[in-house]
Amino acid sequence: MRYQNATAYRFLAPYLLIFAIFWVWPIIDSFMISFQATRTVPWRFAPTFNWGRLIGDPAFFNALKNTLLILVIQVPVMITLALVMAVLLNSPLLKARGLYRFAFFAPVVVGEVAYSAVFRLMFNLNFGIINKLLNSVGLPSVDWFSNVTPAMALIMIAVTWRWAGYNAIILLAGMQSIPEDVYEAATLDRVSKLKQFFFITLPLLKPVIVFCLVLSIIGTMQLFTEPFLITERGGPGGGTETLGLLLYRQGFRSLNFGYASAVAYTMAGLAIAITLVQLWLTREPK
Amino acid sequence: MATVTLNNVIKRFGVFEVVHGANIDVKDGEFVVFVGPSGCGKSTLLRMIAGLEDISGGEIAIGGKLVNDVEPADRGIAMVFQSYALYPHMSVEQNLSFGLRMTGNPNADTDRRVKRAAEILRINELMKRRPKQLSGGQRQRVAIGRAIVREPQVFLFDEPLSNLDAELRVQMRVEISRLHKELGTTMIYVTHDQTEAMTLADRIVVMRAGHIEQIGRPLDLYDNPDNQFVAGFVGSPKMNFISGRIVGRDAHGVVVELAGQEKTRVAQPLTGAAPEAGSPKIGSKVMVGVRPEHFGSAGEGDTDLVVRIDVVEHLGGTSFLYARTANGEDVVIQRDAAKVPDVSEITVSIGKSYLFDEKGLRLR
Ligand SMILES: Nc1ncnc2c1ncn2[C@@H]1O[C@H](COP(=O)(O)OP(=O)(O)O)[C@@H](O)[C@H]1O
Ligand SMILES: [Mg+2]
Repeated sequence: MRYQNATAYRFLAPYLLIFAIFWVWPIIDSFMISFQATRTVPWRFAPTFNWGRLIGDPAFFNALKNTLLILVIQVPVMITLALVMAVLLNSPLLKARGLYRFAFFAPVVVGEVAYSAVFRLMFNLNFGIINKLLNSVGLPSVDWFSNVTPAMALIMIAVTWRWAGYNAIILLAGMQSIPEDVYEAATLDRVSKLKQFFFITLPLLKPVIVFCLVLSIIGTMQLFTEPFLITERGGPGGGTETLGLLLYRQGFRSLNFGYASAVAYTMAGLAIAITLVQLWLTREPK
Repeated sequence: MATVTLNNVIKRFGVFEVVHGANIDVKDGEFVVFVGPSGCGKSTLLRMIAGLEDISGGEIAIGGKLVNDVEPADRGIAMVFQSYALYPHMSVEQNLSFGLRMTGNPNADTDRRVKRAAEILRINELMKRRPKQLSGGQRQRVAIGRAIVREPQVFLFDEPLSNLDAELRVQMRVEISRLHKELGTTMIYVTHDQTEAMTLADRIVVMRAGHIEQIGRPLDLYDNPDNQFVAGFVGSPKMNFISGRIVGRDAHGVVVELAGQEKTRVAQPLTGAAPEAGSPKIGSKVMVGVRPEHFGSAGEGDTDLVVRIDVVEHLGGTSFLYARTANGEDVVIQRDAAKVPDVSEITVSIGKSYLFDEKGLRLR
């Protein structure tokens, strides 16, 4: 048995080595870098240099505010939408179910750059289809890219479009694992379909919903693609800058690795903290 | 309480017809068991009575009222599912009261009904637990409790005991019997287990492949099966079937020669179709059915049969001899344990026997 384990680890060694070098080490290293002043050569240990700057940096609090705002609005809206989509997908009345399932999942596999370009075109002030549609129902055009509120809304719409279907598929799998006869028993108990959804489906789906929430919270905490590509690096004027973007700006444009590492650890810490609070709030009563 | 009447009920799934015109009259307060092998359409029939499946043809009436187009909740039935179908996230108490609370039943009445069901099923101490924290037998009680709380006119059970172990099954069987006596409500019970059917039923409906083979009281089916299927299905161990040929007729019936054993002849009295009418024909092939307990010692009956013993099973009071005829057909013979000889070949007599034609229909 011992010998077999040793053999197994020898076969795993190449993977473990690469995992250690490219995963474990950077995680440890960036933690240490966050305590170093990296704008001087050579770098020197200065525990309060980055962390001290962080707690007084308006750019950090702007990015934090934007990230949390997107989190608080977009995630609940998206999960609710995903639930509705999952219910529709699960309906026995639906024809061509496979087609819808594919369509809902497709946004996840579309290239980020292509998707961002299409969104920029669709929301264009002068010839975008969204403004055309608004006009056609008598509403004025919206300049999605030059004002903060519409720009934030645009980010949320885009993220929701990209990930709602993905969550819907996960929720659908959860719904399909609820035994049919539980609903039949409820039907015999004269419980309406709507009440069945709220009193049976939702409670039984809770672990899956929590799973989707956790995934979405972690994803949104790291939000980068949409504000980078769609609203052009957090525009207008930093109005949609997220923590992910701030990290990128500090680390890879200003080459200030120490500060970027501190931001990265803040993001990870926040994601973990929010997730734990959330798991605690939705824990199963004993 | 109510009668349940099925009039030529048909069920099709797409083009596949799985129930081919069922006619059943369940009397008020009667305990009727649908029994048959897996896939014969028992559940489908029960679910049509419950309203969980549409009826493709025919009529179903409960308490004299046609219910073809009545919502399941309005049919006055309650159903117990094989998998219990409890609400996993609710306590036992909530499982019992959920339906009533959802439909705005007065709280006092709900509490009274829940309390009564808990008392009948002796699940008082379990009320705060979740289904996960219950054993199989306890879950089954809760599922039955949920049905009782509805105070239905008809109880429907779909294989309620098949997920329980053997010992618990016997225990719950007795409880369900007791429940029927206590409530006096009409009950329809589906099972593939003929022992359950025999022990529980006032009347049994034997089904095969979507057809009703016979309806009757347990002992009537046992003593007087209409066909080879019912004869083989009811009773345990099964009735033995030995092939033979009609070789002659006498005043009372026919004489059958067992296949491969020219000297062994069975005289079979027939009362129904007059033998003179030329039916059944001399020379036609038949099956002779003999229950394990109807083999006697040599010389006790009309016919003696020599069999080779393969295996002997001692159950204590009785023993079963697994043996083979000269023609290689398997037979099971029941004997008092004390009377089992230690030999490899014995002669037994055939006492009571049944005759079936080539289509499996009883000749009588
Ligand atoms: N929803 C369904 N769609 C198609 N065929 C079904 C469906 N339900 C049952 N059947 C078929 O109907 C027949 C009877 O099924 P069922 O009533 O469940 O049998 P039983 O309860 O006697 O084991 C089976 O052949 C089964 O495959
Ligand atoms: Mg069944």
